Amino acid sequence: MGYLDNSIVTVDAILTKKGRELLARGDGSFKITQFALADDEIDYTLYNPLHPSGSALYGEAIENMPLLEAFPDETQIMKYKLVTLPRGTSKLPILDLGFSAITLKQGASVAITPQTLNFQGATSTFEASGYTATIADVRVLNTFSGVGINTEEAEQLNSTTTLGTNVSKNVIGTTINLTSTTINTLFGSRTRLQTTLTVIGRDSGARLTIPVTITKTN
Amino acid sequence: MSFKRFDPQDVVISAESISTPVWSGNITTLDTFVTSSTQIGGPSGEYYFNVYQSDPTGSSARVQFSVTYGNKDGGGSLVYNPIVPGKSPSSTIYGQYRSLVLGDEDTDFSFGNIPSDHFYAISIDRARYKEKLLPGTLDLVIKYQDDSLNIYVPGDGANKNFAELRLIDNSQVASTVTFTDAGREYELISGSLGSVYTGKNSNGYSANNGSYGKLYPDIGVILLNASALEAEASDGGVVLPVKKDAGVLHSDGITTNLQLGYDLFAKGQSFRVQSEETVSSNFVFVRARNNEFNYSSNPSLITGSGELRHNVMINSPQSYVTSVGLYNDNNDLLAIAKLSRPLLKDFTKESLIRVKLDY
Repeated sequence: MGYLDNSIVTVDAILTKKGRELLARGDGSFKITQFALADDEIDYTLYNPLHPSGSALYGEAIENMPLLEAFPDETQIMKYKLVTLPRGTSKLPILDLGFSAITLKQGASVAITPQTLNFQGATSTFEASGYTATIADVRVLNTFSGVGINTEEAEQLNSTTTLGTNVSKNVIGTTINLTSTTINTLFGSRTRLQTTLTVIGRDSGARLTIPVTITKTN
Repeated sequence: MSFKRFDPQDVVISAESISTPVWSGNITTLDTFVTSSTQIGGPSGEYYFNVYQSDPTGSSARVQFSVTYGNKDGGGSLVYNPIVPGKSPSSTIYGQYRSLVLGDEDTDFSFGNIPSDHFYAISIDRARYKEKLLPGTLDLVIKYQDDSLNIYVPGDGANKNFAELRLIDNSQVASTVTFTDAGREYELISGSLGSVYTGKNSNGYSANNGSYGKLYPDIGVILLNASALEAEASDGGVVLPVKKDAGVLHSDGITTNLQLGYDLFAKGQSFRVQSEETVSSNFVFVRARNNEFNYSSNPSLITGSGELRHNVMINSPQSYVTSVGLYNDNNDLLAIAKLSRPLLKDFTKESLIRVKLDY
């Protein structure tokens, strides 16, 4: 990894692990249809509304920062997406999953029903388009599915299988169901497997990541 | 909403032609030519010499090209079997290139319409020339040196013990392109980049033996017309004493035709040519309108309850773009582009970012 040359504005595009997997499949799933923008690496506490030189330089400390090159791990990048909200918004949507961390024994299940706070004038609401949940390492789960959203896109995504390698998987739903793996060989000499679950509100763009731990039972 | 769909005109596939020097390390002119005694002493040494840009035992040494000699009648090589005359590594090489280029076992090579029974073939390593050689960039100096030579050079005032030639391909002056079984074919002529030497022939050929060889850019091969190289310096040759009868060694008991061929480059010390490669790229145009992407889910932008950290941002929100994610319909992140510095976005700005994705 290295710093990018910031003397000129350039873009450095690479395929992610997931992108390479889908490209290798050759089934048409590698088709770029939409984009998102993110501000990973930005620390807004550096934004200084008290700057003695005025508003033009409030973001001085941010605008000149060097940026790191892109990571190929799709779960470690695009963490903080930019969102489109009405001007004048004072409180931004945040997610409440009901869990700050998930720990499951082998073969155990859990259902997560996310809620969005501070969205569309409501203190707490369920987003109409549901939530996208991403498990960083799909191998640790026996089943990973979303229910409650019946669009063609959601149904197709929820029925997608991966190649059984260490890649992420996305599902869509208002409730996300997880069942941990029963396969002992994944553990090796370890007693626990760890990964992360990231949930994103499909309407609000709010995002939350929590750790997931699977404990070996036999 | 944090995702925005592309319009059909936002995703463009483009093919660009990239040309670079052929040699390792992007050296413009190869001036050091080294062989490997291990390769020469092995079975393949009867057929060709591999040429490196540095000591082949070094970690950075790479094969740049191989030089080989082809003779229709098997001359200059030891026959495979004494009771089967004319079948030797040199006849095998001749047949190999005849099959590759002419595609007809009954046709012989001719250079500038003058037949020749033998040639030197330079096969450039595939990793060097990538997709094809770029016609018009070849500039090769070959030199034969022998103390017994006594060549009069007009205007130079002294006789010399060497003869040299500077060769280019005729792609810049030829009015038509010839196509063979090996793709495009150009003649090698005397001259330097941009100009043809017409001292021996108006088209840059030798006086009596046709062109100096052929360039096949699509297979990375150069043939040198050995008949033209054998000719006297006054006829445009370098007096190369190629052995055409049976047997490997010349009368000095040391030299071989392959060694002679290698020496042409080693003493000439100048071999320049470029590769050409077509790179297909996806260009994706990311357009963010003035009222889009002005807020962020970045936790440092808000307090624990979700309120904006800075009150000035309530009516004048600002965000900083550092990353562009490209997704499919399933919201799978397929590719990621990073900006080299944060790009300010607010309600008074629109952004257009061009993302290039090579395969």
